[in-house]
Amino acid sequence: MKNRRHVSILLTMLAVVTLVASGCSSQGGSTTVKELAGAGATFPYPLYSKMFDTYDGATGVRVNYNSIGSGGGIKALTDKTVDFGASDAFLTDQEEAAMGAPVLHIPTCVGAVVLSYNLDGNPALKLDAGVTANIFLGKVIRWNDPSIAALNAGLSLPDLAITVVHRSDGSGTTSIFTSYLAAVSPSWKSTVGAGKSVSWPAGVGGKGNDGVAGMISQTKGGIGYVELVYAEQSKMPFASLKNASGTFVVPSLASSAAAAAVSLPDDLRVVIVDSPAADAYAVSAFTWILVYKEQNYAGRTLGQAQALKKLLIWVLTDGQAINEGLSYAKLPATAVTKALALVNSMTYGGTAIP
Amino acid sequence: MAVQPSRSDRRELVRERAFTAAGLTAAVALVTTIVLFLVQLFITSRASRAAFGIPFLWRSEWNPVTEQFGALPMIIGTLITGFGALLISTPFALGIAIFLADYAGKKAAEPVKYLIGLLGGLPSVIFGLWGLFVLVPIVSRFEVWFGKLVGSEALVASGTTGVGLLAAILLLAIMILPFSASLILESLLVVPMELKEGALALGATKWDTIQNVELPYVRRSMVGALVLSLGRALGETMAVTMVIGNGMRLPHSLFDPANTLASAIANQFLEATSPVYIASLIQLALILFVIAIVINIAARVILRRGVQQ
Repeated sequence: MKNRRHVSILLTMLAVVTLVASGCSSQGGSTTVKELAGAGATFPYPLYSKMFDTYDGATGVRVNYNSIGSGGGIKALTDKTVDFGASDAFLTDQEEAAMGAPVLHIPTCVGAVVLSYNLDGNPALKLDAGVTANIFLGKVIRWNDPSIAALNAGLSLPDLAITVVHRSDGSGTTSIFTSYLAAVSPSWKSTVGAGKSVSWPAGVGGKGNDGVAGMISQTKGGIGYVELVYAEQSKMPFASLKNASGTFVVPSLASSAAAAAVSLPDDLRVVIVDSPAADAYAVSAFTWILVYKEQNYAGRTLGQAQALKKLLIWVLTDGQAINEGLSYAKLPATAVTKALALVNSMTYGGTAIP
Repeated sequence: MAVQPSRSDRRELVRERAFTAAGLTAAVALVTTIVLFLVQLFITSRASRAAFGIPFLWRSEWNPVTEQFGALPMIIGTLITGFGALLISTPFALGIAIFLADYAGKKAAEPVKYLIGLLGGLPSVIFGLWGLFVLVPIVSRFEVWFGKLVGSEALVASGTTGVGLLAAILLLAIMILPFSASLILESLLVVPMELKEGALALGATKWDTIQNVELPYVRRSMVGALVLSLGRALGETMAVTMVIGNGMRLPHSLFDPANTLASAIANQFLEATSPVYIASLIQLALILFVIAIVINIAARVILRRGVQQ
């Protein structure tokens, strides 16, 4: 008796599981898609969650975004378990090859990475490309180094060791910052290079923006790089940086957006660090949403492709109004035009998505 | 003709069989999980072995940009922090356990035992935060003092952060202390009263009894306790990450930033994308797994030898 009851409970459970599973798969066949899934970068997560929340309110389409890191997002898109991935660095050729099909890079905002430091009295520090590279190469090791003093006439910098703080985890922030150093310093490019995590010649590592910030605040004479959003929110001092056209620029939403207002390649797969624009902050970069150009894959429906296309167009147009409220720089008009062209180039079964 | 088993007897039999089956399933599942674990780690780290082979173990370069990987700095960091922490915490653990078992009255021992238990159950991120904000500045001051003492300009110059091997060792020593102390205490408490009383009756002092009766009696479980603590130290991730400085190069002194296997994996796995990079991180996990197994086997061998003597 008792055993028979157990068996029947088991059968009921099995039946429920099967029902739920079939319910999920039948959803794919419906024409109006109410749910999209994405995964990837943590840096734009606050922006995306606000954007997608607003989008849900306006259209009734829910977007689930998991901020599992750019690497995880790329992997999820490669495995075709999400509708879109998100990354702070564009795909390397190797990663794109692993995708097996062309992938579009749709920028959503411009992020900036700032140099934050811990010095008595929080002086307004000025740095240039060469000095910054030498500090992170471990060649300039004291704050009263003549090369720093030359840029900061009027400041009296202490005879104190410089402690370099970098990210210990792989991150888009590191990718942006090292891309900048590689662009401006040949010796950085040849000895260290650029990437989400690199072999640091000097300093200590902290995990995440908060780890780096904590380490800087703990150490007199510390200097490290964090995202602009994070530095502003946690009221950390940050240095102004001499850009490619020779102006010292304070990092801000306006100056990082200005970095993107240059001529861009049509695929927008570009690092905009060391921007030639006159008022640009040099360590700025796009963050991207990644989608397959051909949307008919892994049994996807036209409805899903349409819902995704609508979402991307909204992010590039109405959604941009949300950016600045959350300290993310808006895309400049030229970038929006090119990004919309990319979205419109998406296909389903070889023809444009209506 | 055999007696028909009664209804209740039969039910008893079924229940017993079911229980045996459940127990067996649990045991088999555990062993299978561990084996599958090892197999999975071995398979997914193939790309790393294909690229670097055995020299992965003693290569000291870790460069994700050029995709050159070697595990030596992390192996060294793991072993130094683990054994260093054990070395520092063991005398304290022994002292605490002996004090609570033989010297403190019941009234004093109970609250202390409770506090030790509480300390042992604290999440490691709390230890990490405490380490970063309290321990690290102290280590930093010690570094500067030590640098001036030995006249090392480099140490004074570079050693102002306080994060590094030494901070990690000290933090781990504190973290494993409640484990080893309470495990040793448990074993001291089960030393038979007859043995103690016998020694005392022979005119031995309290210290003689501890030294010649109690400690030899618990030697076996003491080694077990220390191995368990060492295991915890080797695998600790969060707290170590926060104070070790996460340097991926070979450390030259106790004050240098370094890294452990567990901390390196936790830091880098999320954003690793290239196959060789991921495989190398999994290879680190495999090495950590093997280190844990080797230490456990070594402890068993030591124990057996101790018993034979």
